[in-house]
Amino acid sequence: MVETVKLTIDGHHITVPKGTLVIEAARQVGVMVPHFCYHPKLKPDANCRMCLVEIEKMPKLQTACSTPAAEGMVVRTATTVVNEAHKSVLEFILANHPLDCPVCDQGGRCDLQDFSHEYTPTTSRFIEVKRVFPKEYFSPLIETQMNRCVQCLRCVRYCDEVMDVKALAPSGRGTMTEIKHFTHHELDCEFCGGCVQICPVGAITSRLSMYEFRPWMLKRADTVCTYCGDGCQITIQTKENQLIEVMSAQGAGRNNGDLCARGFFGYHVSTHPDRLQHPLIRRNGELVQATWEDALEWVAETAIRLKLAHGPNAFGGLIGARCTNEDLYLFQKFMRLVVGTNNIDSSARYGQINGVRALRRVQGTSRWTVTFDDIVSAEALLLVGTNVTETNPITGLKVKEAVKKRQATLLTIEALEPAVGTISNIANLAAHHFSVQPDGFKPAVLGLIKAVVEENLVSQPLAQKAPGYVQAVSEAVRRLSWQAIERATGSSSQSFIDATRSFTRTARAVILVGQGVLRAPDGSGLTATLLDLLLLTGHHGLPGCGVAPLAEENNDQGAVEMGAALEYLPGPSDANDQAARARLAQAWKEELPKGPGKSLMEMIEGARTGSLKAMFIVGENPAGSLPPSAGTMEALQSLDLLVCQELFLTETARLAHVVLPACSYAEKDGTFTNTEGHVQSVRHAIELIGESRPDWEILSALSVLMGYPLEYGDAKEIFKEIRSLIPGYGLLGPAPTPPRPDQAVVESYLKTGYSSGLAERYTLGERRAASGERKDFSLTLLVTQTLFHSGKFSTRAKGLLQVQAEGAFSLNPADGTRLGLAEGDRVRVSNDLGEMTTTVKLQDRVPVGLALFPEHFDQEARRLLRVSTDPATQVPYYKSASVKVEKAK
Amino acid sequence: MSVGALTKKILQAMLFHEIWDAMKVTFKHMFHRPITFQYPREQRTIPDTHRGALALLRYDDGRERCVGCDLCEAACPSRCIKVVSAEDPSLPLQRYASEFYIDITKCVFCGYCVEACPVNALAMTKLYEFSTHDKRTLLFDKTRLYQIGERYIEDGKKYLIAHHQEKDDQMSREYRYYFPQSVLKATQAPPKHLS
Repeated sequence: MVETVKLTIDGHHITVPKGTLVIEAARQVGVMVPHFCYHPKLKPDANCRMCLVEIEKMPKLQTACSTPAAEGMVVRTATTVVNEAHKSVLEFILANHPLDCPVCDQGGRCDLQDFSHEYTPTTSRFIEVKRVFPKEYFSPLIETQMNRCVQCLRCVRYCDEVMDVKALAPSGRGTMTEIKHFTHHELDCEFCGGCVQICPVGAITSRLSMYEFRPWMLKRADTVCTYCGDGCQITIQTKENQLIEVMSAQGAGRNNGDLCARGFFGYHVSTHPDRLQHPLIRRNGELVQATWEDALEWVAETAIRLKLAHGPNAFGGLIGARCTNEDLYLFQKFMRLVVGTNNIDSSARYGQINGVRALRRVQGTSRWTVTFDDIVSAEALLLVGTNVTETNPITGLKVKEAVKKRQATLLTIEALEPAVGTISNIANLAAHHFSVQPDGFKPAVLGLIKAVVEENLVSQPLAQKAPGYVQAVSEAVRRLSWQAIERATGSSSQSFIDATRSFTRTARAVILVGQGVLRAPDGSGLTATLLDLLLLTGHHGLPGCGVAPLAEENNDQGAVEMGAALEYLPGPSDANDQAARARLAQAWKEELPKGPGKSLMEMIEGARTGSLKAMFIVGENPAGSLPPSAGTMEALQSLDLLVCQELFLTETARLAHVVLPACSYAEKDGTFTNTEGHVQSVRHAIELIGESRPDWEILSALSVLMGYPLEYGDAKEIFKEIRSLIPGYGLLGPAPTPPRPDQAVVESYLKTGYSSGLAERYTLGERRAASGERKDFSLTLLVTQTLFHSGKFSTRAKGLLQVQAEGAFSLNPADGTRLGLAEGDRVRVSNDLGEMTTTVKLQDRVPVGLALFPEHFDQEARRLLRVSTDPATQVPYYKSASVKVEKAK
Repeated sequence: MSVGALTKKILQAMLFHEIWDAMKVTFKHMFHRPITFQYPREQRTIPDTHRGALALLRYDDGRERCVGCDLCEAACPSRCIKVVSAEDPSLPLQRYASEFYIDITKCVFCGYCVEACPVNALAMTKLYEFSTHDKRTLLFDKTRLYQIGERYIEDGKKYLIAHHQEKDDQMSREYRYYFPQSVLKATQAPPKHLS
């Protein structure tokens, strides 16, 4: 029971939890206390003095933003004394404010403007000249106008307390205080846009939309960001069908108003001039503009002809996980019913499938058993291969909050060195950090399990319930020697023991699994091993504990749940599950196709060998994502029919026979399912660009022409159908209710399920050369995601390109010295597959022996990569390669 | 009706009284100065407060007054103004109107836009002759508005003074509001996006 206090504010009686600030209590009874420096996300600073209120029995006026409510307090916010105080505070602020509201982007939604209208006399007693700061160029995306600053320091505090970036600082004293960054060159930070959003006046504004709008012209649409699995709620503001800016209100969505650079500055993709606006059809080898009727009829005719000639299994379907649930659902229904094949896959195949498989195998859920709130309130967090602040920045914020504000113990196993840099580095916050090479995640996890077993930290209830399982795992880890683990991870056995002790001590533990594990060979096995760790420590099944695989694309989770994968039907239920098949057949009034189906890599192989004749590809670009060594280009070229639904003329779309223009997330309605399984509404912000159409509409039109109509009035109707098949899907509430682990599945796993693949899961595997041993010019090239981009999609956002416009070959300064490379040098990177020339960037955070290259600009780097396919989950892996590095002449 | 009244009526009818009565007015006007102007040979003197064609004004040193704040657009009841503002390529962070349109066919000449302008960049002139063979020429763009402003600068100034928006020339210079200009540091290279 929370302790409460009763107080009176302007005659309203209110009961609030103890510790609530007076300003918050006042807000609850509808009394607005004017303020600049207060913000619910930040610690009270009470520097602006605007929120002064009168409290009975206190001799002086008190700042409402820093005074906690106490029992029997009587607060008055509108007395003569208080109003006089407001007047004089504003008079001081306005003494230096330039009053350039007509040219200020904040004009019309400015706190200072509003309060001035409400509280000040129109004249000022100050006759002195106003301060004018000399203007310095600040940054390409964020602009400062220090003359307008009211020195509330919200931006500085947000950057420090919430983002943990510490890029801004006040310099100077008194009225001459100026917000500055630390360096002489332009601002170099995470560009989360938080300072722009939190500034109460127009001192910090976005340069991307500068002077393009006035606030009253804007139309807003609450929708969901499309750049990562976090599913942040954003408000897109538009003016006459032009995207103007993105913001996220305090308290909105799962992100609570926080955004990252991608969300805040990456919105110009939808109105990029290269957007496809008309259907294209291949005539005489050239893609030429066509009408929708011609294009669709040609596709339908050709598809029917090929289906009659080669049967439905000569077709394949691939969809991108950036599409809405409605698109994904209709796509798999289209492939299964209209075409009649199980050859369906989505970009969830690149990694998300690994996580879902492991969760389903061990605990019978296909989603997280935790939510973001559980991450915040966790006592111990283990991050494996996530680099979470760059791949999923908002999940990263939750981790930062747990560690910084709630003193959670953070354990990280990352291919990262703790180093202070311009962008945040999660390894800096870790209590126990294991810096490993990308192939060292598994040995490090096994090291933790070995420590659990050898230090007798195995949960007693589990040992009694499943002695066979504990016995088998213990034997498996005892077989591994500490020396081998130490050699593979570069960390001492003692550090594993210490880390395990601090992990097992806690009551609430969450394990976050990132792309380093999921998009790697045997990602599914390692995720299951992490679940083993949680089972052994006894955390598994407890409230607020669980393993959480992070999704890379915004609707990876939805793609699996909508059944856009050969092994899953909507639900997801297994494709071989007879009961689910019967239920679906009844709902669809049609038998489901039988047969195993082909995965992404199998489809490409099929296309190469000629068993696959036609492919429908929706919003996915295998020719651009997979390395050339996979032979995707050649395979797709040999198809008799390739239909692409795309926003842009991508590498894959260039090979297509017909390209149908689809619309982006900013133009369509539907739902996205984020990484924690929360289904959120996507709403259109602008009208459709050109002749583009939502993906589901295109599929629906095609199905009619192919003689099997799947007709819907709008996306809502599809969602209704989804809900009729998956009861309670997407309750659209403020927070998701996570599923509980299925006890029957857990028990069968503990009894027998664990044994399959146990030997492979509990071996260290082959090792590549470890750090420090390298004498030659070789490095491990790892193609990774960076903070400022998401896939190749965001490389068309002009805002993000101003921060990061090209890829650089990042390596540790020690490696740089060893190879004789300095920052900015051109290097030739090569191996037996090919070569590329790029620029060197020296970064302390890159472990020795590793070189990182952003996947968003990897057109060249992909030539060096080789694809290997996971035999169990069919996940292609192509992220790393051994390369030779030399200075380019 | 009494006998007297009836007699009077008959007498008036016989003598065509109504006609004489009406002709009285006509004859009276023969001795007046003519009221009808022989437009366009004769032009009328127009008061300073007259709401004629809109013009954009410049300061005496030739700088554009308009800062592109869109307030005129917001104030316009007939929605005939469109302002496109941008950052001045020669002055970092200075806002200016890169495009400015007034559709004079829609304009109701209410003068609200002039009142809304914080820098008195808009003024109304005594120009009211808009007749044209091509309606498209009535969409005044920025160049046209500044041309009108240059040609009828005196009208514009008088309008502003007559409507109490500006004091006379000397005083207006004193009271004029300048937005503080941020100065680039001399040591600093021009920013990337502007070079």
